[in-house]
Amino acid sequence: MPLIQFKDVSKTYHTGKVDFPALDQVSFTVESGEFLSIAGPSGSGKTTILNIVGCLDQPTAGAFHFSDRNIAEQTSNQLADIRRHHIGFVFQTFNLIPVLSAFENVEFPLLMKGDLSPQERKRLAGKMLAEVGLADFQTRRPAEMSGGQQQRVAIARALVKQPKLVLADEPTANLDSQTGQEILELMKAMNQKTGTTFLFSTHDRMVMDRADRLILLKDGRIADDEKRR
Amino acid sequence: MLPYLKLAFRNIFRFKRRTFITFLATSVGLSLLIVTISLMNGIDKDSISNIINCQTSHIKIFAQGYHDKLDDYPLDPAIEQPEKRYSTLLEIPGVKAVESRILFGATLINGVDELPCLGVAVETDRDPDLFKIKESILEGDWLEPADSQILLGVDLARDLRVKVGDRLTLRLITSTDKKNFSWNAVDVEIKGIFESGDPNVDRGRIFIPMAAAREELGMTGRATEIVVRLNGYGEKRIEEVQQQIVQSLNGDSGMFQAYSWKQLASGFLAVSKMKTKNSGIVIFVMLLIASVGIVNTMLMTVMERTREIGMLAAMGLKRREILRLFVYEGGMIGLIGSLLGCILGGLFSWYLQVKGFSLTAWGETMQRMSEAVYPVKGVFYADLSFGVLIMVFLFGTAIALLGSYLPARRAARMDPIRALRHI
Repeated sequence: MPLIQFKDVSKTYHTGKVDFPALDQVSFTVESGEFLSIAGPSGSGKTTILNIVGCLDQPTAGAFHFSDRNIAEQTSNQLADIRRHHIGFVFQTFNLIPVLSAFENVEFPLLMKGDLSPQERKRLAGKMLAEVGLADFQTRRPAEMSGGQQQRVAIARALVKQPKLVLADEPTANLDSQTGQEILELMKAMNQKTGTTFLFSTHDRMVMDRADRLILLKDGRIADDEKRR
Repeated sequence: MLPYLKLAFRNIFRFKRRTFITFLATSVGLSLLIVTISLMNGIDKDSISNIINCQTSHIKIFAQGYHDKLDDYPLDPAIEQPEKRYSTLLEIPGVKAVESRILFGATLINGVDELPCLGVAVETDRDPDLFKIKESILEGDWLEPADSQILLGVDLARDLRVKVGDRLTLRLITSTDKKNFSWNAVDVEIKGIFESGDPNVDRGRIFIPMAAAREELGMTGRATEIVVRLNGYGEKRIEEVQQQIVQSLNGDSGMFQAYSWKQLASGFLAVSKMKTKNSGIVIFVMLLIASVGIVNTMLMTVMERTREIGMLAAMGLKRREILRLFVYEGGMIGLIGSLLGCILGGLFSWYLQVKGFSLTAWGETMQRMSEAVYPVKGVFYADLSFGVLIMVFLFGTAIALLGSYLPARRAARMDPIRALRHI
């Protein structure tokens, strides 16, 4: 059973009196464990797909199933629960909570889940920080870390709750190429180690090259869907 | 709940200067509120204490019909042989002391000026058990039963420019009847000067032994009132004793009427009630200032953290959890601000409770105006109670919670996609 199922998904934004079609009958599936990149020029619909897959937005037409659940039938609280338990987000601008330390930022999703003992929570958060190479940065706050370090914390935060899917919106856009490369390697390693599905939006050639599968979008439609490995 | 509290606590110190200003506005507003309430309570407490200890005691008994003419201080209708009622009164549980008195209109003449005053004939051996005039003597001595001397208040003595040992002419009004108005005059020596703290008494009353007054007023065997002191009972008990007194003294005759200090001080209590009403407006404005500060801070916080709100929603926080997070934040600002306000207000009120708030710096006119309203002289003392601190603390926190609700709801209703795109 596919993790993500898009069937003839369309999305139209209404801005004033103008309708802007962002997606036009897009269909694709994503299996668990894929390392997939969605690429395309600005306005091609990358972020719209990520928003719908992240259960933050709903299609105007068509059907989206996540883990065999029809997302259109879920209440806003049920969608929040899906995000809380099954989806991790990595943002272009890192979006860490500035008043929390690196460790606390990673621990936060586990606190939200609320099903772990404090000891287990701390063990998992510490382990995840160590896996992204920041074992010595636990007490640092975001403002005291470089962009690359912050993105590592964001990856640790996305992965610590062992989600089915990590969505990364332009994860390397705010990083230099060397750091971007390191972040990509880290995400690939995590994908292989944990089997978590990674879905990126990007127009960074390096990210596209590193993906196992590349979906190219043009004007809200799939122009190409290429499996590389 | 704990992670939200922790996050809320950290967030309030995110913008230290703004948080400090909000704390300052809240705590200053609430501390002023505490000082105002404490001061008003203190003034009320001192006023009531002065009314009871210098003017009315707990209960006064009059002959039927006297109370209706009280403002004229007539000598009739008087109580005949009041001393015969003492044993009946003292048998009533809770009655501590009783005394007969004659209140009469009078003027004092120092040879140049003539000033009006209220004469109070007292039983010199009983009066100290009911009133605090004896213990308020500044110069000279308390009266003896056989004395024909008088005591007068420090302000009246100053107005007449007299001292202990000086002689004055006392003009006693023996009939207030408009058709048969009459008076008697006698030379008296000042035996003592007192300062009771009640401006009405210190400026407008003289005290004279009962025997001398009866002789000059032609009131042998009579008094205009019997005053009753209770053993520190509450209002309800005073009312019960008041009824018992009427029943015990009257039987079926209906000769006597009893009035509690509250009934006798109804004028002051009406002013006090009006003052409480007016101060409610001041309190409302103070709380409004504090809450506007918190609402403003929270609105700015929500606007500045729009993207963070989007991120939290993306991480799976539900609307009610985002709402809770921001309400906690506003609540904590209110809680800490209220705590600081209570400490500040408590300390200042405590200072005013010990040192008092003197009106002398505001000039004599202000002082006289205040004395016309409150039976308290010169210095107002605060009365700080733990209950006021708790009430203001809870009220401040509740206002902050309410004030932060709207901004928090705004945060909770944000579209996460738009919020994440916010720059």
